[in-house]
Amino acid sequence: MRLPERQLAVLEAASATDERTMDEIAAETGLKPETVTGAAFDLRDEGLLTVTETTTEVAELTEEGREYVAEGLPETRLYRAAVDAGAADEAVSMGEVIGRADLAGPEVDIALANLPRKGFGTIDSGELAVDPDADPDADPEAAALETLADGGRVDDASVLDRLASRGLVDLAEHTTRAVMLTDAAVDALMEGVEAAETVGQVTPDLLASGTWADVEFAEYNVEADAPAVEGGRKHVLRRTADRVKDVLVGMGFQEMEGPHADSDFWINDCLFMPQDHPARTHWDRFALDVEPMAEIPEALIDRVETAHRDGWGEDGDGYHSPWSEEFAREVALRGHTTSLSMRYLSGYAGAELEPPQRYFSVEKVYRNDTLDPTHLLEFFQIEGWVMAEDLSVRDLMGTFEEFYRQFGITDIRFKPHYNPYTEPSFELFGDHPETGEEIEIGNSGIFREEVTGPLGVDCDVMAWGLALERLAMLTTGAEDIRDLHGTLADIDFLRNAEVSY
Amino acid sequence: MPVVDVDPDALRGLTGRTDKTDEEFREDLFGLGLEFEGETDDGDLRFEFAPDRLDRLSVEGVARSLRYHYGDDRGVYVPDTNDAEWTIEVDESVPDERPYVTGAVVRGVDLDEAGLESLIQLQEKLHATMGRGRAKGAIGIHDLAMVKGAPLREGAERSITYRGIEPDGETFVPLDSTDELTPAEVLEEHDTGRTYADIVSEYDRYPAIYDELGLFSFPPVINGRRTEVDTESRELLVELTGTDQWTIDKMCTIVCYALSARGATIEEVEIAYADGATHPEEYGSDLVRPNLEIDEKSVTHDRIETLLGVDFEPEEIVDCFERSGLDATYSLGEEVTYDVEIPPYRVDVLHPLDLVDDVGRAHGFDRLEPRYPDAGTVGGRHERTRLEDAVRTSLVGLGFEDLLNFHMTSGEENYDRMRIEPGTGGAAVDGDGGVLGGGDPVEITEPYSEEYTQLRTWALPSLLILLEGNTHNAYPQDVAEIGFVAERDEAENTGVAESRHVAGAVARRDASYEAAKGRLQAVCDDFGADLETPRTDHPTFIDGRTAGVVVDGESVGVIGEVHPEVLVEHDLEVPVAAFEFDLDALR
Repeated sequence: MRLPERQLAVLEAASATDERTMDEIAAETGLKPETVTGAAFDLRDEGLLTVTETTTEVAELTEEGREYVAEGLPETRLYRAAVDAGAADEAVSMGEVIGRADLAGPEVDIALANLPRKGFGTIDSGELAVDPDADPDADPEAAALETLADGGRVDDASVLDRLASRGLVDLAEHTTRAVMLTDAAVDALMEGVEAAETVGQVTPDLLASGTWADVEFAEYNVEADAPAVEGGRKHVLRRTADRVKDVLVGMGFQEMEGPHADSDFWINDCLFMPQDHPARTHWDRFALDVEPMAEIPEALIDRVETAHRDGWGEDGDGYHSPWSEEFAREVALRGHTTSLSMRYLSGYAGAELEPPQRYFSVEKVYRNDTLDPTHLLEFFQIEGWVMAEDLSVRDLMGTFEEFYRQFGITDIRFKPHYNPYTEPSFELFGDHPETGEEIEIGNSGIFREEVTGPLGVDCDVMAWGLALERLAMLTTGAEDIRDLHGTLADIDFLRNAEVSY
Repeated sequence: MPVVDVDPDALRGLTGRTDKTDEEFREDLFGLGLEFEGETDDGDLRFEFAPDRLDRLSVEGVARSLRYHYGDDRGVYVPDTNDAEWTIEVDESVPDERPYVTGAVVRGVDLDEAGLESLIQLQEKLHATMGRGRAKGAIGIHDLAMVKGAPLREGAERSITYRGIEPDGETFVPLDSTDELTPAEVLEEHDTGRTYADIVSEYDRYPAIYDELGLFSFPPVINGRRTEVDTESRELLVELTGTDQWTIDKMCTIVCYALSARGATIEEVEIAYADGATHPEEYGSDLVRPNLEIDEKSVTHDRIETLLGVDFEPEEIVDCFERSGLDATYSLGEEVTYDVEIPPYRVDVLHPLDLVDDVGRAHGFDRLEPRYPDAGTVGGRHERTRLEDAVRTSLVGLGFEDLLNFHMTSGEENYDRMRIEPGTGGAAVDGDGGVLGGGDPVEITEPYSEEYTQLRTWALPSLLILLEGNTHNAYPQDVAEIGFVAERDEAENTGVAESRHVAGAVARRDASYEAAKGRLQAVCDDFGADLETPRTDHPTFIDGRTAGVVVDGESVGVIGEVHPEVLVEHDLEVPVAAFEFDLDALR
């Protein structure tokens, strides 16, 4: 018979007459206890060993138990103090005895509960009388605590249970396994058992020569940690963006593309944002030190200026704000990707568009905000719009419900809102998929005619926007956006961020 | 977003709903779009709302909206006004930068502390919003009893004068002071003066309002102490100056509506322009103010139905208008059209579309049933982002951690710490010996932080900053980014040449030129691109271990072992080999 080396060692260490524990065999063979156990079970399965299990209860002192070993049980201390106070002769007031016994806090209740139970005395109407013949030194509970403290064993189960219920010891079960040779094993040993050859690794030689069939592969500790492997990963925010793009393409949206540095005309004026709007002051935008934009379709500029100054349509009023072409031509980093929507809707980005159309982008925008866990100077904006004849607020609601449902956000709520460029406008609210907290998840509306009219669009366009980071924080659980995005990112965080799909 | 502090007791008084609890008011106002933000120290309720309904900047306006909401009021309301006794004379000396003035007289005022507080709040909130920080419009409110107005001309009524004066041309005692100061001194010595000094400090002449006794208001900065309003004041003079007549007229209207709601009577003032004085052309020569004229706009039944996606009876729509504080009449015909009257305090109605929104709110947007629009379109990705994605997938497969860095950076990070200089670009990209990354910076005109002063001209500095911040983490750290870079380029319409670069860095104990080139080669192979790496120089890399990246015969980037000086500058204790090239090379 051939057996793996460690099984052979265990077999040779076992006895046909006495049960030997795994620990004993481990000590004799020099193998690890878990290796011995594994080998023993394999041998049992071969019918060469019997394995018996014995369960014993092991008691261990709690912190409170150790305290009482040092100071005495509260009831014992109360008893002795009462004897000193003369309570053996005549009942004395409890207050006096408690003070004398130096008991504090919960110890008082413990002492008062256990003293009568142990027959040390009686309590009546706030007075304590003790039995002079009681012998606390013979108290089995105290004795058991002492024994455990000295590392001894206590076999009286009722005392242990009592101590456990008082929280003075913890009881735990301990299983010991022991093995004994079977008759078959004895026969096999008599006939002689050889160790099989073990090899560490599958090698080309081993495979080519066919010797793999005769060898035993050395066992690994398959539960142990392996050295870390760091594969490359797509950035967590890119993955969220991919998911958004997948959803939108699936809903029939085409992706837009356009410049990060753009004229205020495309960024704000087309959006019917008055030039003295607070968001257009230098505090909020990143103006660039380049020449004003030379090429903008003149007719479009004229129409946009008209909308700002005089309004759009017969009953339209303009803004009572200054408007200058010079400001419109200034170049800045875009504060939103709606500049792309304007370029596409006007036909400037490519072909003139006929309804119906759906377009989107997930691209970077720049805003001068205070950096904090939820705000960055640069972030990604999801922008989308639908162009069709006679779009209604209900179509807008239906589209956004469908979009957010893809991210597990159902029951979306539409709060009427105000934007200079859309009317009606809605802030979108939904419930956090995990915390259930109400969160703002976007801003939407139907573009005003002062926006679509000058662009030459004579049907309805509904649009919405949302920060990608907000969606990513929802889906990854990140709490500080700076961990995700930018040069302050922690490479470990990126490596360990949970994959979402 | 603007906030308004509302005294719940005043709200109960003004709405007549004395049985409403604070909690009920909060819910009702949420329905109107005013979100409860918390209680102020004085026990007022603070609400935040979108900046369209600026007539709700005080408790009086909030109460008016609630009365319509409850159905206690319907249709347009305009307070009666009495004929003018006072005239505001506009002198030709009025500063050119701030020529416009308006105003009103208010009588029968009886304000307690809370009422006065509310008036001051409304004034400040209007300054902050429509008034654009007082630059566009500023309100001064005075105790009329303290204003002495003799007729300037024979037969004229009592008057005050708006004029321009020399910065040190006159003295007066401003509010919150006991000193006689000139306007110029106010700008230097008085707290409020310093706050608003920027608005007028460049003016040749300063705005000033005079009565018979002299200067009593220095708009838009501060009023004189003589005419200060308190709870004893029974008659008020409201004056507004600004850069736009419409804006100050509307601000005045909102103030008048608020005082009228408190039981006061509004009295007109005449505005008379001296020869040579600037007057607002669209309004004729002499004005009578406040302007409480009703505006009219028309909207079709069809537009309301298609935009809201709901079928209505005309009566339902008229009802919605009236519950919004508007009046509407309609004529049945081929097309039903509503002629809608809009009260003067509504500054947000610029187009008939805004009336549809009012109908939607009155009807209840939450009653609308969502539906998915029946419009078939074909979706698809842009070619550029598909290419980016494909290259990113290759890099990740090679073990690079994909990064996403900021596009804004500083000259120090972009050039100095990389041992390169601006103005040395043209890049390997043009094959003229330029330095990749050495293009001219696109700078932010007024940077707020030294860390973000320009757009990055290349991506490698971002990778090195990231490695610098991660020296505590385990190596190897192989990182890559496909990212936006930009440099100045007069030939572009935006003045900015934008492109995407592919940058990769291998940071590990055994990082070498070979390690970087092997990976670059693999990426090029993926895209069937032919790679050559002729020897070149680049200050960021070690001489003799630097090559140009030439893809399909075009010079598009650089590859090499990063110079020790750059590594030490970034606190790196391992070698780094890196490459960067233009994404378009893989098209």
